[in-house]
Amino acid sequence: MSDRRFDVVVVGAGAFGTTLATILTQAGRRVLLNTRRQEQADEINHKHTNERYSPGFKLPKKLVADTDLHGAIKQTDLVLMVVPSKYFRPVARAVGEVIQGDQVLLHATKGIQIEPFKLMSDILHEETVALKIGVLSGPNLSREIMAGKPAGAVIASRFDEVIKRSQALFEGSLLRTYEARDVIGVEVGGSFKNIIALAAGAADGMELGDNLKSLLLTRGLTEMMRFGTALGAKPLTFMGLAGIGDLMATCASRLSRNNQVGYRMARGESLEEIQASTNHVAEGVTTVKAVLNRSLELGLDLHVVKGVYKGLYEGYTAREAMQWMMSGKPGKEIDIDVRGCL
Amino acid sequence: MNINKDAERIIVEVVQRLMDRWATTPEAVEEAIFDVIYQERRRLETDPMGTTEQANFYDMIQTQALHASPQQQRELLRLIIERFAREIQGHFNPVVYKVATSLVPTGLNAMLNTLSPIRLVQGMLGDAESLANQARLRGETTLLQKLAKMGTIVLVPTHSSNLDSVLVGFSLYKLGLPPFSYGAGLNLFANKLFGFFMHNLGAYKVDRRKKAELYKDALKTYAGVTMELGYHNLFFPGGTRSRSGAVERKLKKGLLGAAMDAYIHNLTAGKKNPDIFVVPCTINYQLVLEAATLIDDYLKAEGKSRYIIEDDEFSRPKLVLDFVRKLFRLQSKVDIVFGRPMDLFGNPVDESGQSLDRYGRPIDRTRYVLINGRPGFDLQRDREYTNELAEAVVRQYMENTVIKPVNLVSHVVMQRLRRANPQMGLYRLLRTGGRQESFSLKEVYQELQSVMEALMEEASQGKVVLDEAIRGMDPVMVMGEALAHMEVFHTRPALMRRGDRLFHHDRNLLLYYGNRLGMHSIMDGQGNV
Repeated sequence: MSDRRFDVVVVGAGAFGTTLATILTQAGRRVLLNTRRQEQADEINHKHTNERYSPGFKLPKKLVADTDLHGAIKQTDLVLMVVPSKYFRPVARAVGEVIQGDQVLLHATKGIQIEPFKLMSDILHEETVALKIGVLSGPNLSREIMAGKPAGAVIASRFDEVIKRSQALFEGSLLRTYEARDVIGVEVGGSFKNIIALAAGAADGMELGDNLKSLLLTRGLTEMMRFGTALGAKPLTFMGLAGIGDLMATCASRLSRNNQVGYRMARGESLEEIQASTNHVAEGVTTVKAVLNRSLELGLDLHVVKGVYKGLYEGYTAREAMQWMMSGKPGKEIDIDVRGCL
Repeated sequence: MNINKDAERIIVEVVQRLMDRWATTPEAVEEAIFDVIYQERRRLETDPMGTTEQANFYDMIQTQALHASPQQQRELLRLIIERFAREIQGHFNPVVYKVATSLVPTGLNAMLNTLSPIRLVQGMLGDAESLANQARLRGETTLLQKLAKMGTIVLVPTHSSNLDSVLVGFSLYKLGLPPFSYGAGLNLFANKLFGFFMHNLGAYKVDRRKKAELYKDALKTYAGVTMELGYHNLFFPGGTRSRSGAVERKLKKGLLGAAMDAYIHNLTAGKKNPDIFVVPCTINYQLVLEAATLIDDYLKAEGKSRYIIEDDEFSRPKLVLDFVRKLFRLQSKVDIVFGRPMDLFGNPVDESGQSLDRYGRPIDRTRYVLINGRPGFDLQRDREYTNELAEAVVRQYMENTVIKPVNLVSHVVMQRLRRANPQMGLYRLLRTGGRQESFSLKEVYQELQSVMEALMEEASQGKVVLDEAIRGMDPVMVMGEALAHMEVFHTRPALMRRGDRLFHHDRNLLLYYGNRLGMHSIMDGQGNV
């Protein structure tokens, strides 16, 4: 039996990982923040900052950072992975080398593996022996939370124990956490909204007004629901924090990375230029590929998704992509089978 | 293991556990008693197996319960539970069990001759043995043999025929394993030959007509207790024979859950060999004795299909014999594929009994059930573990399904029928056969060829197993074998060749046999390859 010195090990010291580690430390939890880079760990331990990902914020002195992943996992009952989807599998594999069946494995990554299509919880299943798996998602703009503003999130798992232990972890922190069972729905919601945020950002960049933005959001939401339910999600999940909740924050706020990418592309920058200028990962840029491929396999016609894809990868300018989205014959407004969801 | 002593110990344990669960309050006791009385009386109104003794018993319970104190009611409940437990256990014969377990498997007859009651059914013996010899054991048999010495095995086969339990029983015997505890429907005990084996070789009785929740819980508890005491168990998690012919995708989780409970009980009791290993198994026939009845039942409007079928082919001994003999004449092998043994969390287990992750790294499986560092029960958690396990079992069913020529040819002809009649609903198509009563054999061969190629690809990725005849990739051979089978048994051959045309006569059977492929990805989308 291992020695449990930490209430949680947060794996990944990017913006959101640092944010979660910070508010949990502030709430009195013993937190170990795991990062790959020694100099980043040193900066967090000695200067109490993480300038690269949380510029301008002071981190709590009690927050401990470390680079020894295996050692870290042996010292906790609860592992929280906050790693970009691109690195998620290799990190999960490393976690899988030590994690055991009694430990809870939670993740807060809003992305999808492209080939083959996999949700993050699928990857955790494949790479680790943990079964007590859960996901945290919701409207959680890092900079707002770092600035001390409260927020809410949903924690979804098939296991009561995962939900209870995760909720207990966040109790008294800036994050109010709600419970859910629909892991697929919560993961799809959190990932899919990044695609819509790209479109909404582009609409802002072109100053097309609030009516159009609202149209994009609403149509995007129905596409999210159609896609999610086809994968086995419950439609009502998308009415919650991981669906409409996250969508509102991401699409309204200039703090959202995906929204920013859409905005800057509409202002004439190329995707490569934007990516070269930031440390942050805009997950929507890869999620759109994963979702488009899978939607075609499922026989779904997702108009907003296709439009965003054209703007990113088929040489359409933002304006052309938006025009394409506005073309074509509009179908039924609500095209989702909601039987059994109430 | 002392079987005689264990038989009584099982009863004591089952009664105690059910009392713990059901007799929590005086109200709960009363409710349980009257529910059983109600359900049992309803059963006795129509049950041909019902007796006056049974009716009298419940009359007595009712009369007493109405005037009993809470303490007396508890005793009445205990009486009912003990009655259930003893009914389930049946007449367990330790002598037969010992003979069967201690014998080196030199031959079936050697064993059977030592058992005198078998002479009653000696006429059927040769046929039973020929059926057993038809079984070809594949897969992880060596691993199964090794693990059976280290822990309790829970064998969970697919289920298409009443012959399944007999075949599996013989297979386990051939592997030198002791009989497995197995819950068999009362109707099976009615058949002399099978009844004899079931009775004495570990089978306990399941009366599907008994609907009381308490009875169902008693069955589950009975199985769980035997697992804890180290008796290998066998059950069909599909619950009943597959009606559609497809391999089970939805499993009943009650008994898998009982295995989880047994494991945790073993851990908390600090047993030396607490481990329980789950072994999925597929049973693959070219022809299924009860195919016509089963698919007929499947096609009846949903909700009306019968859970218990007692008047099928299996209830006609002459037909059973006929069937077995014909299979024998065709040299038709039944493939029994033993899958990878797993722990109760769906992880594979190696020959030293160690659980492994997908990279072959060892896992401490006891940690899944720890609560604050000690093994313990958590109803919701354990249910989810069982769901995960059921999914892992289904994955192995798919990977270990052996596609045989009859399945393949039936699938291809059904697909052609559907394509040739795109506007026609399935039911009408099955009844009328659509616009063409026959297809060009040459075209069917071509299609067989392309489906075989797709299947070869799947098989090379370990997603399915192909029968030798199919691996030969010769459509003429495959068709020949399929027709040879279809022509001999079913009263009306499903398919017949005349000249260069292939005539379809019984679409229901084609649907049934073709459905065996239905779960594989080549059927995705439009049902086309």
